[in-house]
This record gives sequence, C-alpha cells and structure tokens, in this order.
Amino acid sequence: MHRFFLVLSKGMAYVGGAVLSALVGIVVLSILGRELNGLLHADLFQNNMKGLADWLIGFRIPGIWGDIRIGPFNGDYEIVEAGMAFTIFSFLPLAHIAGAHATVDIFTQRISDRQNRILTVLIDVAFAAVLVIIALQLFQGTLSKFQRGQTTFLLQFPVWWAYALSLVGAVIAAMVSVYLALMRIAEAFTGRHLIPTGAGADH
Amino acid sequence: MSNIEIGLWSFPALMLAIFLRVPIGLAMFLAGFIGLGIVHGGFDIAMAKLKSETFTTFSSYSLSIVPMFLLMGHFATLGGMSQALFKAAEGWLGHRRGGVAMAAIGACAGFGAICGSSLATAATMGRTALPELRKYGYSGGFSTATLAAGGTLGILIPPSVVLVIYAILAEQNIAKLFLAAIIPGMLAAVGYVITISIYVRLNPDSAGVKPPVPMGERMRAIVDVWPVLLVFGLVVGGIYGGLFTPTEGAAVGALGTGLIAFANRGLDFKALLGSFTATARSTAMIFFIVLGAAFYNGFLAVTQVPQTMAQWVLDQGYSPFTVLIIILFFYLLLGCLMDSLSMILLTIPIFYPIISVLDFGLVDFIAMQHDMIREAIANGAAEGVAPDIMDQIKGLMAEGAEVPRKLSAELGVRLTEARANAIGIERTAIWFGILVLIVVEVGLITPPVGMILFIINAMDRSTPIVQTYKAVLYFISSDLIRVALLVLFPAITLFLLP
Repeated sequence: MHRFFLVLSKGMAYVGGAVLSALVGIVVLSILGRELNGLLHADLFQNNMKGLADWLIGFRIPGIWGDIRIGPFNGDYEIVEAGMAFTIFSFLPLAHIAGAHATVDIFTQRISDRQNRILTVLIDVAFAAVLVIIALQLFQGTLSKFQRGQTTFLLQFPVWWAYALSLVGAVIAAMVSVYLALMRIAEAFTGRHLIPTGAGADH
Repeated sequence: MSNIEIGLWSFPALMLAIFLRVPIGLAMFLAGFIGLGIVHGGFDIAMAKLKSETFTTFSSYSLSIVPMFLLMGHFATLGGMSQALFKAAEGWLGHRRGGVAMAAIGACAGFGAICGSSLATAATMGRTALPELRKYGYSGGFSTATLAAGGTLGILIPPSVVLVIYAILAEQNIAKLFLAAIIPGMLAAVGYVITISIYVRLNPDSAGVKPPVPMGERMRAIVDVWPVLLVFGLVVGGIYGGLFTPTEGAAVGALGTGLIAFANRGLDFKALLGSFTATARSTAMIFFIVLGAAFYNGFLAVTQVPQTMAQWVLDQGYSPFTVLIIILFFYLLLGCLMDSLSMILLTIPIFYPIISVLDFGLVDFIAMQHDMIREAIANGAAEGVAPDIMDQIKGLMAEGAEVPRKLSAELGVRLTEARANAIGIERTAIWFGILVLIVVEVGLITPPVGMILFIINAMDRSTPIVQTYKAVLYFISSDLIRVALLVLFPAITLFLLP
C-alpha cells in the first residue's frame, strides 16, 4: 500500500519535472526567436543580407496555434502559467508523502512519544482535511470555468483545461494525505510503526 | 471582538501551532481560513476563495522563477562544477596560510552564482571541499564551520530564491534586488576570508600547509570554470540588461546548467529523475507555504492589522533605526528556529508595511533635484533658457537651496515630492530586503539549531558538533559586523542601482 502511493507520488513528480523542463525549453525558444527576429530586423542584416533576412522573417510553417515562424512565441506567458500550475500540483503528493514540508520541531523533541504520536495524528488529519477541501474546491472552480467558457487572452484556449489538468495532482495529493492520516491513526492505536516518518526537506 | 483584535490574536495562535510542529504552510493556511471564517461569520467566502485562489497562486508567472531556479540549482550540483571551482580557487589560494579554507569560500561564492539555495551550496561544496581540507591538516571544527559559512553565500549571491520571494511580497523589482545583492554578497566572501586569516593566526594548529600549484596548472584551472561564468553572466547580465525577464533568465540558467552537467557526464537519465524529485520536494514545500501565506495575508488585509500596526509604530515616534534594529534582531532569533523562506513569508507582510512608512533619509530631495539639474545642463538643456533664469537657478544651487519647480521646469526637471518619496520607498525596500536576507541566513549557521551546521557536520563523523559551534562563532561575528556596516552605510547596498 505504502509502496503504491510512493510510486504514484514519484510518478507524478516525474511528470511534473518533465513539464517543467518543457516549459524551460519553450521559454528559451521564445527568447531565441525574439532575439533572432530582432537581429534580422537590425541594420547589420537589413543592409548586407536583406534578401536572406526578409525571407527568414517571412518564413512560415503552419502550426496548431498559428504559424510557426522566427519570432517570439506568442502567448508563451499563458503556457508557462498553465504549465506551472500543473507542475506545482503534481509536486504536492511527493512532498507530502516524503514529509518535505517545513516544520519547527525543536519544541516537540522534549514531549513524550505518546504525545508526539497524538500530535502527528492531529496534524496529518488536519492536513488531509485541507488537501481534500482544496481538491474539491478546485473541482468546483473547474466546473465554473467550464460553464462560463472562459478562454485565455492570446492563445484562446479554455481556462478549464489547465484547471482540469491541475486537478489530477490535487486529487492524488488528497488521496495520499488521507492514506497517511489513516495510517497515523492506526499507528496511534496499535503503537507500532507502520510507515517511515519523512526525512527533512532539501531546499 | 473587533476585526483588529481577531487579527492580533491570530499571531499567538499561529506561532503556537508552528511550535507544535504543524507544517508552517498548513498553520498559515488554517490561521487564514479560520480567521476569515470568524471575521465573515461563516466559511462561505473562504470556501469560494479556494475555488480559484490555489490555482492562481500556483500559476503565477513571477513565481514560476522559483521551480526553474531550483531545477537549475539541482543541475548545478551534478555537473562537476563544484570541483572545477574549488580546483581553480585552490590553485590560486591554497598555499597561503588557511588558503584551502579560503579557496572553499571562493568556490562557494562561485557556486552561489549559479545556485540560489544555501543548503544545496553547503551540501555540494561540503562533499567537494571537506575531504581536501582534512587532507591538508585543517582541523575538523574549522573545516565544517568554513563550509557552513560558505554555504550561506548560496543565497546571498544572486540568483537567490529567498530574494525572489521577498521581491514578490514587497512588490519590488527582482532585477534591482539581484543587483543590490552583489556587493553585500562579495563583502560576505571577503569578510569570511579575513575571518579565516584571523582564525589561523589565533589557532596556528588548525591549518596545515599545502605546496603551491605551478602557474600553468592554475591557468588551466581558471579556464575550466568558464561554463559557470558564462551561465552566471547570461542569467544575471541578461535579467539586468533587460534582455529577458527574471523568469526567462531562470529558464536560461536551468537549461545552461543542465547542458553543462550533461557535457560533464553528470546528468544521465537517473540523475535527471533525481533532480526532478528533489525539485518537486522543495518546490511543493515552498509553494504550499506561499499558498498558506496568501490565505493568511488575505485574512490580515481584511482585519487591517498591517496598516494599523504601521500607523501605531509611526505614532509612537520611535527612531526608524531603532525599529529596524529590533526587527533585524527578531530575525536573528527566529532564524535559530525556522528556515529562511518560511520566515520571510511569515513576517514580511507584517514588517514591510512598517518599514516602508519610516523615513531612513535615503533620499535627499534637494540633492536629487540638483543632480538632475546638473545632468540636464550637461545634456544641453540650458540652451534657449533666459540667462537671468539660469543665474537664479545657479544662485539657488550654490546656496544649497531648493529650486522652485517653476524654474527647474525650464530645464525640463520636474521632480515632485511624491516622486522623490516613491524613490525613497523603493530604496528602503531594497536595502531592507538585503539586510533581511543576511540576517535570516545567519540563522542557518547559528548554534545550536542552524540547519546548515547539521548538514555539514553530518558529513564529517569524526568532528563533534561542539567544535563546529566554536569555530562558526568567528564567522557569525563577521556576519554581524557586515550587517552593522550595511545598516550604517546604505550606500554600499544601493550603490549599483541606477
């Protein structure tokens, strides 16, 4: 069971990492396009190689969101925002199951093992409640964006797409947190260690 | 209970939760959520907020710089860049007294220029430099303390994740903050080198001797660090030069360090997945705190606590510097308990409004006006202006008096009090940001709970942590002297700004 959730969380983190890398690529391509376009319009090219420069500026390949050409990526801003939301949500499950969230634990080192267990149960139950509420409300948000048919400004893609994609990470995070909370309760009752306590965060 | 009282009561409740080990982001989220529920007499508004607020917080373009810088930092730890930096620094400094330790500081500073995280810098440089320090007879506590101090350079020298978060909270320009951090960051490195040379004179047994490296080898080692310089130049130069936005700079940096790591055979598929999970953990941790902070600050704004507190401090008529020193001292204390990002997210929404209404005298209206007039005259604005008006202006300037706006407008200079105040607030915000950055980092190396101390000490099992504690006090002294200098002379921080 623990293995299942761990693998699931890691898998989500890999997908999020891949999307993050893709965003890095898109942003860099957009900068290159913008700078190249500027360079082709600059005097150096316009005076010496006007034919080549103008041909390159006018060069077009048809693409999904308008033609692909040498220039800034129109709407890269919107893709970064949508992709980033997906990325962060898909990172949440791993951070949760690995216990990566920042805490102050020097004051609770002195209290008894039993008290610490009760505290852990309370915290993990509260965390699960919050993550479940976040996922449910994100679902509500997705529905309302869907019903209103809102689209982004430049690329005109429906806003609910990004919401729906983010929902995947939010739901898995909620599932992981409920599982962890249940295990903590079981631990408190049986007095046994059922799952490893997470290591600290690396930041 | 009035809204303000509810807002004020939320502080002790929040701190109690945090000290009871509730994750900081969760504690802030709950405080904000429950607080909003009490203020509005029900949870409908708080629940409605959640429909879009989580999404909009996570999809912020300006915050997308954070995961990109984190990915960049994790790639940087893979690529043999730390070894190249250390080898170059060791070649030039290693044969001096305490030279290997100085080289470790130099390499940390270089690594800090491509990595925005102190813990990653400390861990990476620790793995590289600690064995070398021990090999050349540097004592255990001295070696670990040096690397812990060096680690803080990861965040002091831009790019810096903490500074990005500060910039967003205080609504300041990230590029200007990075620029302002450069001189204090270099001062930190120089201060640590001086500390080392004092330490080895006071404790002659603490450092061994290393034979000098031939000149040719030194030169080759310098050449080997060019990728690091290239990435730093591209990222910081590009952001500052206006070539791209900070987020774009972070993307360029992530790709750059990724390519270097790949070229050095440090980045295979397994290492890539490892970078993803490491980035995932730290990114999600930071963003969950950002979300909690957004909720908590939304609640505080409803209660009007930040404005009320700022007005209260102003009404008491305390000296601005007294207030500043109390706040910095508070950070030093809190830094012993909490990591730097949590601290910034927790406190800046309260402290920044207070600091921004105080006048630290960073802008002199008359001097600024005179500078602008001189510049205008140098640019030929005086041509066509009646000679008697010019005489009047020059006369006033010679007396050091304010030139009435009617006269200065003839030269095209229209500086208003409001504009000068806005510049003053921006300078105060940047200066305060750098000061906070330094004091929160000092917390990371303050005994007994400084996080970096534990990371480095865990790498050297033969050194008791007490020895690290003793030696790190020298470096902390250097930090405190630097803070005092920056408080007394704001120009050190603001010097590079336009």
